[in-house]
Amino acid sequence: MSFAWLGERIKRRDAGSVFLIAPLAAFELVFFVVPFLILVRMSLNANADPGFYQPAWTLEAYRAVLDSGLYRDLVVFSFELGVIATVIAVSLALFYAYAAYRADGLRKSLLLFSIILPLLTTLVVKTYAWRPLLSPNGVLNDVLVGVGLIGSPIQFAPGIVGTVIGQVYIVFPYAVLSIYSVLSTMDWDTVEAARDLGASRPRSFLEVVVPEALPGIAVATVVSFAWSVGAYAAPSQLGSGAQTTFAMEIESLMLTQFDYPTGAAFSLLMLAAMLVVSLGVMRLLTGSVGGVEGV
Amino acid sequence: MASVTLSGLRKEYGDLTAVDGLDLDVDDGELLCLLGPSGCGKSTTLRMLGGLETPTDGDVHIGGEPVTDQPPYERNTSMVFQSWALFPHKTVLENVAFGLKMDGVGSDEREERAREMLDVVEMSGFADHDPTDLSGGQKQRVALARSLAIEPDVLLLDEPLSNLDKRLREQMQLELRNIHDEVETTFVHVTHDQNEAFTLADSIAIMNDGQIEQIGAPREVYDDPVSLFIEEFLGDTNLVEATVTETTEAGVVADIALGTEVELPTGDASVDAGDDLTVSFRPEELDVKRADASGGADADGGPSITGEITDVLYRGSTVRFYVECAGEHLFFEQSVGADTDFAVGDAVTVSWDPADLLAFAADGDRVGGGGA
Repeated sequence: MSFAWLGERIKRRDAGSVFLIAPLAAFELVFFVVPFLILVRMSLNANADPGFYQPAWTLEAYRAVLDSGLYRDLVVFSFELGVIATVIAVSLALFYAYAAYRADGLRKSLLLFSIILPLLTTLVVKTYAWRPLLSPNGVLNDVLVGVGLIGSPIQFAPGIVGTVIGQVYIVFPYAVLSIYSVLSTMDWDTVEAARDLGASRPRSFLEVVVPEALPGIAVATVVSFAWSVGAYAAPSQLGSGAQTTFAMEIESLMLTQFDYPTGAAFSLLMLAAMLVVSLGVMRLLTGSVGGVEGV
Repeated sequence: MASVTLSGLRKEYGDLTAVDGLDLDVDDGELLCLLGPSGCGKSTTLRMLGGLETPTDGDVHIGGEPVTDQPPYERNTSMVFQSWALFPHKTVLENVAFGLKMDGVGSDEREERAREMLDVVEMSGFADHDPTDLSGGQKQRVALARSLAIEPDVLLLDEPLSNLDKRLREQMQLELRNIHDEVETTFVHVTHDQNEAFTLADSIAIMNDGQIEQIGAPREVYDDPVSLFIEEFLGDTNLVEATVTETTEAGVVADIALGTEVELPTGDASVDAGDDLTVSFRPEELDVKRADASGGADADGGPSITGEITDVLYRGSTVRFYVECAGEHLFFEQSVGADTDFAVGDAVTVSWDPADLLAFAADGDRVGGGGA
């Protein structure tokens, strides 16, 4: 039997694959690679006082970012916000995804639909919607004061509480979907087997469900963390001046202070830092189960 | 080790009744097969035994203790699942040691006991393997070892052999028997495969529509089926319509659709002339000879009919022949290489011993006693 036809077929498929991938490759090139290279070039220019930048080849902008105590504080706060929002969002998402996995019929559809629904609204609008709920004269305070839990209103927003809630709200759907996609392939029999062999409900969850969901938890963690460290919408709309993230500072450098080289250098440094941290998190969470090929 | 008693067990899912007032006793150390077609409620019954389903009504007793409301992790039963349900993120050894870990057995002891169990199922060479790398038969052995490691009072097997190929399945049936003899635990084994039930069981309980239709030793059930359902389920047979023409002391005389009358030794069963019956001619009870060579069909005095071979099916080690007699089709089987060989179009004489025939009334109940 000859395999010539197989080779022909593979060749044909190769041509087809290139054809299919071309629009995506072109899009990536025009809207990602080229702007990224412009950003790299910009970060090597010198800043100019009147004007956006002065053409040059210098690492001055990088030195300015690394030497600044203010920027260091902003970065530390950004990472703190990232860790807190990620821990809350991923823990809640694990239980939510498990509930959706266990539900069936209308309840399952409802649980999944209510996760998709917020994704259909603009980020800024849905973040802003928390303002009237969390502000000192907002709905939440009215309720808490009304039932007598607190004597006087608490300022949830603007402030750290509002910022964290807003950020968790933004990343929660992505965390749920990452975990649910992995969990949905889990064989329920394995959980029953664990219970049958003497594991209580919480124990069977820890021993069987969590290891199964781990690749999804890893993805959820990286997505939530990367997004929350670079948070912009939640802290700018629900935070006070104390909740300034590096993303807000870069926006200010670019659009208010017109210091393009410093803004570009700050962006690239944070990008590198996030890449290292994300890879570390991914490795840490999936190393014990032998990679994330299953995702 | 413990006996099992199910009394008045019911399970309803909305409008659907899966198990409908089932009573069952399993003796201590017995290997009972719950046999039935899909959807008869046998798996649901097993899951209620294991605590994975809560009965709508009725009681479960294990070793005389009521356990109806106990969750699975408090009962000392252990299930081998159809999918085997091995934990994919644990090694084979960790899988087998899991139940002991949940029982709080120290890590050295549980490793030792898990290794012993792997020895019993001949999987000791695979202790550090990932379960996902194992073949179906190997997974099945590990699942069995995992369930046996906790020394359950009752081992529940939910069609664990149904995903294996035929040769492996038959080998595992024998091994399961041997393991049962070795561990002396009560086994309840659910299957839809009658051959598997006959091979394995000390006793067989045949289920239909959420109830137990008949229970007994394999031989007893096969020789003395109580209903048409059992007769059809236990093996391929020839069912022929008949009408009672007269009742005698020994039984009845019936006009069968094969164009002849037969005497059915049904004893003093309550049938009257004119009643419709279904008569089962089991293929192994039919004696078929070439019509021209038999030298008189009634030579041995038994009833017989003549017919023509219409189809010959080769089924591996056996050949199945179809005979048309008076418009009805009967089949019988012979081993490949048997002396007599028939071809399509051959005229044959089919005879039988009336004592081997089984008769069933219109409602499916057996009429009188037949074979054994």
